[in-house]
Amino acid sequence: MNYFLRRILQLIGTLFVVSLITFAAFYIIPGDPARVILGPEATEAQVEALREELGLNRSMLQTFSDWLTGTLRGDLGESLIFRQPVTDLVAQKIPVTLTIAAMSIFMTIIAAFPLGIAAARKPGKFADQLISVIGHFFLAFPPIVLALVITLLLGLTFKLFIAGEYVSYTDSISGFIASLFFPSIAVAIPKIAVFQKFIRTSIIAERSKDYVRTAKSHGLSNMMVMIRHILPNSLVPIITVLSIVASEILGGVLVVEMVFNIPGISRLLIFGIENRDYPLTAGIVLYLAVMTVIVYFVADILHSLVDPRIRLK
Amino acid sequence: MSRFKAETEVVKVRRRNRVGTALVALCIIALSLCSCANPFRAKSRAPEGGGTYGGEVVVGITQEPGIFDPHTSVAAGDEEILFNIFEGLVKCLPSGEFAPALATDYVISDDATIYTFTLRTGVVFHNGEPMTAEDVVYSISRAAGLETGVPLRDDLSGILSVEATSANSIRIVLESPDAELLPFLAVAIIPRSVADINETPIGTGPFKFQEYRVCESVILVRNNNYWQSGLPYLDRVTFKITPDMNTAFLQLRSGSIDIFPYLDSEKASRIESDYQILSGESNMIHLLALNNDVAPFDNPKVREAMNRAIDRTELIQILMDGAGTPIYSGLSPAMGAYYNESLNNAFPYDPERAVELLTEAGYPDGFRATLVVPSNYRHHINAATILVDQFSRVGIHLSVLTVDWATWLSSVYAARDFETTVIALTSDFSPRDVLSRYVSDAGNNFINYSNPEFDAVFDQIRGEPDEDERILLYHRLQEILAEDSASVYFEDPRNIVAVSKDLSGYVVYPIYVQDMSTVHYN
Repeated sequence: MNYFLRRILQLIGTLFVVSLITFAAFYIIPGDPARVILGPEATEAQVEALREELGLNRSMLQTFSDWLTGTLRGDLGESLIFRQPVTDLVAQKIPVTLTIAAMSIFMTIIAAFPLGIAAARKPGKFADQLISVIGHFFLAFPPIVLALVITLLLGLTFKLFIAGEYVSYTDSISGFIASLFFPSIAVAIPKIAVFQKFIRTSIIAERSKDYVRTAKSHGLSNMMVMIRHILPNSLVPIITVLSIVASEILGGVLVVEMVFNIPGISRLLIFGIENRDYPLTAGIVLYLAVMTVIVYFVADILHSLVDPRIRLK
Repeated sequence: MSRFKAETEVVKVRRRNRVGTALVALCIIALSLCSCANPFRAKSRAPEGGGTYGGEVVVGITQEPGIFDPHTSVAAGDEEILFNIFEGLVKCLPSGEFAPALATDYVISDDATIYTFTLRTGVVFHNGEPMTAEDVVYSISRAAGLETGVPLRDDLSGILSVEATSANSIRIVLESPDAELLPFLAVAIIPRSVADINETPIGTGPFKFQEYRVCESVILVRNNNYWQSGLPYLDRVTFKITPDMNTAFLQLRSGSIDIFPYLDSEKASRIESDYQILSGESNMIHLLALNNDVAPFDNPKVREAMNRAIDRTELIQILMDGAGTPIYSGLSPAMGAYYNESLNNAFPYDPERAVELLTEAGYPDGFRATLVVPSNYRHHINAATILVDQFSRVGIHLSVLTVDWATWLSSVYAARDFETTVIALTSDFSPRDVLSRYVSDAGNNFINYSNPEFDAVFDQIRGEPDEDERILLYHRLQEILAEDSASVYFEDPRNIVAVSKDLSGYVVYPIYVQDMSTVHYN
């Protein structure tokens, strides 16, 4: 209980600092949302009238505390540019980002486990070497480069998909998933490369332990030893790494969305920053921060499920 | 222009272990599932019945529209779409002339202070309500800010009153004579009954607003009650938003975009065989703006030297593959009679003369300065790079500083805190609109240009009822700008549009709009 309470207090502190920094940034960088909305030909009187209407003439602390009070009540305010509630805008776009993230995590898990186990079977032998070489090759690709290579190679040359095409989930769920398939791959590949390597190491370390030899001497097959003993015991460090990988995946999704022209949260975020739409930007940053914290939180809970000792601490 | 280079690596996988084989199989299944379920390939295209009517078209745009209130929207990117939804008393034609639209006829009083319009009868708004004289009065009063005191459209601030004189005529009274208000009366007519026009954009145009998906698209559908019989042809037009030009180009090549305006010539040349490439004058002034208040640009000799130091032909060749017209003053040749042809080649490329002028001005070894460029316009960054190179030949060393659009608007355009900047000026199709920014006290005179003679001539035009006289005065204004070398004007880039070969009827306008009413399938 004490443990959860401490985590939640940490979470609130983190979110407060993140929001404050976001707000401060808008007061430091030049640019005026009223001027962006009205464009180059607006007169001073028009700009001033709009600034007043949007409440841009308040001090930073005033603006921040108003925003904070609203946020505590669950109201993230209205986007200056779109004139829609920030929560509505985010609600439209976040399913897209989360779907890519979930698909990437799923792909990472289903590909990395078989690869890691295969590589760990006979360390230093051909399969291990091959997986290692390919792994290192893809590890060197940041998602943005991979996204471009996939678009050019699979999209334009082999015509497996239409570059930059996106189907909204309101139109067709299967089309939506299909249009997010390649972006998810671009995010997942470098993570598969990292993750399989870690699984391999964990398994090898676990296998050299005494109980494994005991289990084998009891006549259990290699397969059974792997499933019953080695895998469950190597899960604790693997989950720790998975939570780090998952939060990195979130970052990768933001970049890949731009390259594949997917209208997810990152388009909205960049639009918010470019147009100095501070309620929109602060709202999105808050969502992203919450999601990252949740990922770590879930990892903690999984830990305690896999390893009963953690609950005791 | 940026080019992608694909470096493909082929990794041969020997399918030796079972896990590997299973994985490869899984991927193949996933890929094939994916292409089966690919719904966007099956876009229905068949025009129904009459052969050329029906069908849908996707237009690629690069700017997020944001605002749908036609009176407050000012971004060129909004205008592109809104042109299809809203109309005014008059409407711009592809030739740049203004023809009656929601009015059938107009009379301008001899002293140019009263405009009387006869309204078209039988025009119906998208919500089914008929357009009345009250709606017209309401719309123009709203745009001119007659009730609030703050005009939404600054160009209408000279309007004193608007009133309905009968069921189908209205009268606009001006504060002072103005023979050139007509282009600005293309301002949208909207129904009085709609409280929030931004949320429910209802007009009289050929297409009705259906849906705006933030960051995705704007969808318009056919207006079956359009007053121009036979128009439009298409059932549905989707404006698809893709902020990145390169990504938009990929979509064009893969066929998910049918019409893509504002292509650069390098990209256009790569798809010549697959698309119709149309082009027209864009009526855009591309310039290196010089802050006339800041040394050394406060010295006319320095400004003249800079005008002679650049080779416009070479610049347009590199920047646009030659698809642009060199300019030497503040008005585009697209303006027809208003353009002063005697200024063609006013500043021939002459680096020696440039150095002489710099020496006379006290800078025999040249100088250093900063060139600010908005980072969201690739075209401007490319132009700046070429200019930096050309200027360095006469000892003028410009260092490029890229800033984002919001910063550019605040620091450069509004606060005028800059030395030089590359920008393209767009405008309504009106010479007055283009040249008004050079009046000494104009709010948008961001280059701080000031010449009493220019101001006097500009004032004279307002009250001049004779068009031929006005043309001569406009020619004089352009001469004054060139004599003072107000800035380094270099090109009017051509607007290049790629249109699918299945389509006909697309027309390139000299203003920033996409007219979809005449587009149809072959």
